[in-house]
Amino acid sequence: MRTDMKAAFGSQDTGVRRAAVIGAGSMGGGIAAQFANAGIPVDLLDIPGSDSRNGPAEAGIARQLKSGGFMAPEAAALVRPGNVEDDLPRLAEADWIVEAIIEDFDLKRDLYRQIEAHRKPGSTVSSNTSTLLRRDLVAGLPESFARDYVISHFFNPPRQMQLLEVVAGADTAKESATRAWRAGRGLLGKTVVECRDTPGFIANRIGCYWIAMAVLEAAEQGLSVEEADAVIAAFGVPRTGVFGLLDLIGIDLIPLVWGSLIRSLPAGDGAHAYDLAGSELSAKMQAAGRFGRKSGAGFYRKAEDGSREALDLASFEYRPRREVADLPGGGRDLAALIAAGGPLGDYAWSVLRNLALYTALVAGEIAHDLPAVDTAVALGYGWREGPFRQIDRVGAGEVVARLRSEGREVPKLLEGAAQAGGFYDGTAPRIDLSGAPLAADDAPGAAAEAAPRILAETPGGRLEDGGEGLGILRITTKMGTFAPEVFDLFEAVLARGDLKALVIAPGSPRALSAGADLSRFLELAETPERLEAFLARGQSVFSALRRAPFPVVAAVRGLALGGGCEVTLHADRVVAHAEARIGLPETQLGILPGWGGCTRLLARLATPGSGPQGPGALAARLVETLLPGPVARSAVEARGLGLLREADEIVMHADDVEPAACAIARALARDYSAPEEELFTLAGPSGLAGALAGARAARQAGRIEPAALRVAEDLAEVVTGGPEGDPSRPLSEAEMHALERAAVLRMAARPETRAAMQATLKR
Amino acid sequence: MTRTAYIAGYTRTPFTFARKGALAGTRPDHLGAAAIRGLLAQTGLAPDAVEDVVWGCAFPEGEQGLNIGRVTGLLAGLPETVAGATVNRWCGSSIQAVQMAAGMLMMNAGDCFIAGGAESMSRVPMMGFNVLPPPEWEAEAVSDFVNVGLTAERVARDYGVDRAAQDAFAYASQQKALAAQADGRLAAEITPVETAAGPLDRDGCPRQTTPEKLADLAPAFLEGGSVTAGSSSPMTDGATALIVCTEEVLERHGLTPLARIAGFGVSGCAPGIMGMGPVESSKKALSRAGLGIADIDIVEMNEAFAAQAEACRRALEIPEEKLNIDGGAIALGHPLGATGGRLVGKAAQLLKREGGRHALATQCIGGGMGIAMVLEAA
Repeated sequence: MRTDMKAAFGSQDTGVRRAAVIGAGSMGGGIAAQFANAGIPVDLLDIPGSDSRNGPAEAGIARQLKSGGFMAPEAAALVRPGNVEDDLPRLAEADWIVEAIIEDFDLKRDLYRQIEAHRKPGSTVSSNTSTLLRRDLVAGLPESFARDYVISHFFNPPRQMQLLEVVAGADTAKESATRAWRAGRGLLGKTVVECRDTPGFIANRIGCYWIAMAVLEAAEQGLSVEEADAVIAAFGVPRTGVFGLLDLIGIDLIPLVWGSLIRSLPAGDGAHAYDLAGSELSAKMQAAGRFGRKSGAGFYRKAEDGSREALDLASFEYRPRREVADLPGGGRDLAALIAAGGPLGDYAWSVLRNLALYTALVAGEIAHDLPAVDTAVALGYGWREGPFRQIDRVGAGEVVARLRSEGREVPKLLEGAAQAGGFYDGTAPRIDLSGAPLAADDAPGAAAEAAPRILAETPGGRLEDGGEGLGILRITTKMGTFAPEVFDLFEAVLARGDLKALVIAPGSPRALSAGADLSRFLELAETPERLEAFLARGQSVFSALRRAPFPVVAAVRGLALGGGCEVTLHADRVVAHAEARIGLPETQLGILPGWGGCTRLLARLATPGSGPQGPGALAARLVETLLPGPVARSAVEARGLGLLREADEIVMHADDVEPAACAIARALARDYSAPEEELFTLAGPSGLAGALAGARAARQAGRIEPAALRVAEDLAEVVTGGPEGDPSRPLSEAEMHALERAAVLRMAARPETRAAMQATLKR
Repeated sequence: MTRTAYIAGYTRTPFTFARKGALAGTRPDHLGAAAIRGLLAQTGLAPDAVEDVVWGCAFPEGEQGLNIGRVTGLLAGLPETVAGATVNRWCGSSIQAVQMAAGMLMMNAGDCFIAGGAESMSRVPMMGFNVLPPPEWEAEAVSDFVNVGLTAERVARDYGVDRAAQDAFAYASQQKALAAQADGRLAAEITPVETAAGPLDRDGCPRQTTPEKLADLAPAFLEGGSVTAGSSSPMTDGATALIVCTEEVLERHGLTPLARIAGFGVSGCAPGIMGMGPVESSKKALSRAGLGIADIDIVEMNEAFAAQAEACRRALEIPEEKLNIDGGAIALGHPLGATGGRLVGKAAQLLKREGGRHALATQCIGGGMGIAMVLEAA
């Protein structure tokens, strides 16, 4: 296992080389883990423990290891535990100090005074508070502290949740705020949204209102919890709806979270109309100890017989859960649902109406622009789209017309949107937060949308012009599967003479490529000649890609599995999103990587420094690596498996992957020569026993199935060079490819392979 | 005149678990050098009195591959004029090293030797990095060599050592070792080693367990089998070093003899039951010493697996109270190339400590062999 971690690509531009987090709870521990995931050393301090001084901080690290906060266990080595009595001098090393202690105003301010005494001048200090205001926290503290102090509000769990709300003040120095912005994105991979200094910032201000309003409206209108949640799901929010969401969050937190937020809002704020914490419903739930999933019963529960029950809001008794079927628009089309009317349609309208009115009224108070509101709410609460985009989907004009017909006052922002023909034109807002129209080039993000010039296109994808000879080959099949049309495109691109560099890019955020199409593989397997031609085509295209006269960089976000991984193994460089899932699961289906994957991996294992060398060692290492059908759960893990090399780059924010890949491709093009033909010195039949020793022992001990041992035998045959292999006669790539093909043909003919593939297709 | 070979000093490094133990980061040649330096410091033997370093290693590859006997001697600070050789008889390597030193001495090819051995199973895997047996061997023949756990299963089955007997044997080994460690009886043989985390002076392998915990373990090598991780010796890092010399060297350097070497034997058996190797080799060594098992007061027999050690104990009719009285390899660990030196050195030390007359050190060897050495109190 690796113990050193390469820092994430672009980390040197963030101004943060070392970080510190104070407070080792789930948030602080998770933030520290995310710094470590980016390869940045971080101190994690908590109060001293009674048994061990660093016990609480160490427990925080252990919790992250268990809950998956670390992308690979070796990242934990970058987190140095400590305590706030002995180790505050370490803060002098940190470029960014994140405070994530409990929400106690006086404790935080005491801590800030101590931080100020130890930190290095100009370092950024931030608080992960979710309820306190920056101006209150900083009032009366030295000016030197205030100028470096911002709010950095993360969501739980910090590794997975995309949103980071940042609040700077007028007294904040630009470089301190900029560092939090850059490092929040470049190191922690978050989409950073700048917020104004108001209670709940953006996401929780809108999100808490929405939950309270949707719950209390449902109760008021006499809907069942299942009906309300089915309607709410049509807003493109997580399938839990709102009642299910409260069960998940914990109903016991209502007084704390909703109570404190509403108390901090001015009397005229619309949120007071839906005081969830002060509601009879909440009081009854608290009194009954119905806290949601953590107590085993909330608005839903699992009955003793395992059946699912829901709470009847009128009788306050549980009854069998009722499925809500036949919602207009299939439960996914909000406009259709509202148009259909009836109790459910009316409820849908009331929720959209209240959300629209509230958001429109507070937007200017909490945010600097429209996208900030939509981005924060969508990422913070897992909505497909933020509130203004929801309104656009139904139609801003329609919403305003209906408000008028109900005799309601229409906020200026909604009025402006209706007049402008909606809030957005594509990604660009049409209006500012006062409702005034924006000139096209004033709009945030307006410039980014220029469509690229298409240089070549097939039904499998297209070649986009990245400028100055850079081609971007975008795979556009579903999940990037390698249909023949994708190979058509690769061949057309490789035949061009005008490229200086090439980036292989994903057509969707979900995958660069999930590999070969299994149903097609099964169909081809009926005719060995056709299957062999299919294998040979992939091998020859990927090999040509590797030997092309220009650098090839693979940009990986989402999945790169099977053939999708093999294409990256042939690239000069891979730029992978930290959360990409890269793997070679072929053996799980009874075959092996047959588009040059075994050959490329063998070449990597033969690189000095990558592990034990020698023909026997190589064969054994390759079988050991490939037999489990490895799929890495992060890019760091992929590096540990050898699926990414040291020179490959890991990018923390998914949207930064492709720009980084393009920049690297351009840089490589300046002085590029294609790799030389390689020869492979393999063990021959003498190596079979050693290559198989591990798998045979595992089989004897009952740890693997007989089918896995057969797969190991085929792998071993390829990586020892086959029956004619001999260490005195190195093999060419073409000979290696022939061995891969022969093995896949043999393996594909087995009934167990067919059965495994069919079972996967059914799933 | 007949020359007599004496064991005039014995020490070893702590033994610790491979990969997770405190010595995992230490090269095997550095382990060995620490043991040799400790041996010289404890005995006061002048380095230039040494003829040769005869050094056992089971997988002389990688960091153990550059004639580790020679490399270790140089790292230990022995004069360049002292030679060094590597001896490979797999698990039997360092009993063999002691025998070779004694054999050279007895044919007047030197008066004073350092014998011993080292193995870092953290840094060079068991069977080495490149396992390349003759391709004409059937899978089972290869397995008999490389999957020794299965040979223990075969011995357990063929010689009737059931799961309960194996677990009881393993539990006893742990208890004996823990007691010896607690009483400071192991410290007499340990030379501390400097590690990145500071000096290490204690064995890392003995572990507090219970019969219930041992009974709960799943079979490690064979589905439905009886040999578990608890009744097997663990992968271990460590080194041992002994002085083998003539009477004249004892006197000249003021060394205190622990024992004299009285007999030796190696034997072969079917690779698939390699664990029974000690039976025939012990009989040979005893017979050459003119002794029977009843004459033996101390037995140090390697515990590669409880199954084979118990089967050999029964076959040789060794009383339990004479066997591995400070615990065996199940508890202490089994750094392959170093173990034989520990068995001989320990047996010699115990003769002195316990006041017996004769001792037997023996072990099984993968590939189907046994090795044994008989000692007499000096």
